[in-house]
Amino acid sequence: MIRFEHVSKRYSASHDALVEMNFELGAGEMAFITGHSGAGKSTLLKLVALLERPTRGQVIVNGQNHAQLKRRRVPQARRGIGMVFQDHRLLMDRSVFDNVALPLLIAGTPREEIGKRVRASLDKVGLLGREQEPPANLSSGEQQRVGIARAIVAKPPVLIADEPTGNLDPQLSAEIMTLFGEFQQVGTTVLIASHDLPLVKRMGKRVLVLDHGKLIDDFRPA
Amino acid sequence: MNRRVVIKTESSVAAIKPAKKSRLPVRAWREQHLYSFFSSLGRLAARPWATTLTLAVLSLALAFPLLFWLLLDNAHGLSGTVDDARSISIFLKPGTDAEAVKALAERLRARADVTNVVVKSPEQGLEEFRSQSGFADALKVLHYNPLPALLIVNPRAASAGSDPASAMVDEFRRDPAVDLVQYDALWRQRLNAILLLAQRGAGVLAVLLALAALLVVGNTVRLDIQGRADEIAVMQMLGADNGFVRRPFLYIGFWYGAFAGVASLILIGIVEWALAAPLASLMSSYDHRFDVHGLSLPAMALVLAASAALGWLGAWIAASRHIALGQPT
Repeated sequence: MIRFEHVSKRYSASHDALVEMNFELGAGEMAFITGHSGAGKSTLLKLVALLERPTRGQVIVNGQNHAQLKRRRVPQARRGIGMVFQDHRLLMDRSVFDNVALPLLIAGTPREEIGKRVRASLDKVGLLGREQEPPANLSSGEQQRVGIARAIVAKPPVLIADEPTGNLDPQLSAEIMTLFGEFQQVGTTVLIASHDLPLVKRMGKRVLVLDHGKLIDDFRPA
Repeated sequence: MNRRVVIKTESSVAAIKPAKKSRLPVRAWREQHLYSFFSSLGRLAARPWATTLTLAVLSLALAFPLLFWLLLDNAHGLSGTVDDARSISIFLKPGTDAEAVKALAERLRARADVTNVVVKSPEQGLEEFRSQSGFADALKVLHYNPLPALLIVNPRAASAGSDPASAMVDEFRRDPAVDLVQYDALWRQRLNAILLLAQRGAGVLAVLLALAALLVVGNTVRLDIQGRADEIAVMQMLGADNGFVRRPFLYIGFWYGAFAGVASLILIGIVEWALAAPLASLMSSYDHRFDVHGLSLPAMALVLAASAALGWLGAWIAASRHIALGQPT
């Protein structure tokens, strides 16, 4: 579902974010990317999400080779990738409902179906009944869950998250990670960048370890 | 903070199937437009002061050339009502006897460049004056008829480009029996030339102010786009194409234009109302020989359509430029 072939990303002559990256993540697989800050975790996710293009190599997501993707087809390809951010990036001037509905609106989902799917998605993250509130009324853990609801509402085959628990306490972090595990169980391919190694190990999923832009380890904790 | 996440074990996230449709169906397209249509109104209402100021500037920029044009249009009506201004009036010296008048009229009728000559004797002139001017009582005190004999000459229609009538006028002036030659077409030509010039001026002014309106909308939308850079980035990451991101801004431009159009029409209505009473008294002093008109309904519709289109265009220019630059790829 996600395949990197000899992928390098160079921002400037002195800054190689990723070097000769090779890995494959099958459909419905869940993996963590870990490593110190600046190791290239965010760059890797940006390449998956088409926020950046690789300097060399091929990135294939959802059966689509990004190198062959025309610029005007990029928005369409992004709709197949759910994204969760550390700072959740909700639109603070709109209600929880409107935030979660945004991907469906963009994809052109019929209006009567939007309501149903937004509520199902909010139910999934345990926030049903809060849909008319502004995000500012919610705690940071709840805001992150709204961000997750927004990422999954259009049922994308691929879900990526960049430090989704970076701002949360250990208990909330564990809950959020368990939630991601749920999505994997129903067939979504999940790729999460996190520097919280103890938590990552406890999840028992595949772990990709980056160091200075190189993949130095690929293991599954026992 | 301590709310526990409700974990559901049944798989309520349904089958994973990416939508592979490349184009949106018409229904989705319509719904997205409806959404932009209303959300753009909401954005304007969220900042009432900024919106009002922008609208005030826009409506003034639209109202000025419109008022100018209206003034000129009415002035044109004034010059158009003087139908028989082409004729030349020849006032003969007082005391010219009737035979001489008749002889001169015959001579003029014989000319190839004259279609018709009407003779008005001093007696006829006095009679007309008495019946039309309301000076009948005053005229009774006169012991003699002070009016001269009058010949009204209709020159043959001027061939294109030249004005033979002016040459004719000069010729008449040299005749010893002639006291005064009056040729109204001259002042009419001058008026027309002045009106033409003013119309050009109004056109230039309208183009300049339309450009100003375009810039005002463009700049307002540009600031709006900058203020919403984060929101635009989020939408683009969620897979919104440029059309989706641009659309609310285009509708904002449309609303600016449309509302400014309405405001400028109201402004013109107020000006018309303020001038109505003094104009009416002026008209009555002129025996209502020409009438004053405001904007017609089709003209109003045209103003609205043009101003809405102008707003849309200004927003389009700003949005195309700034949203394309903000694309995170």
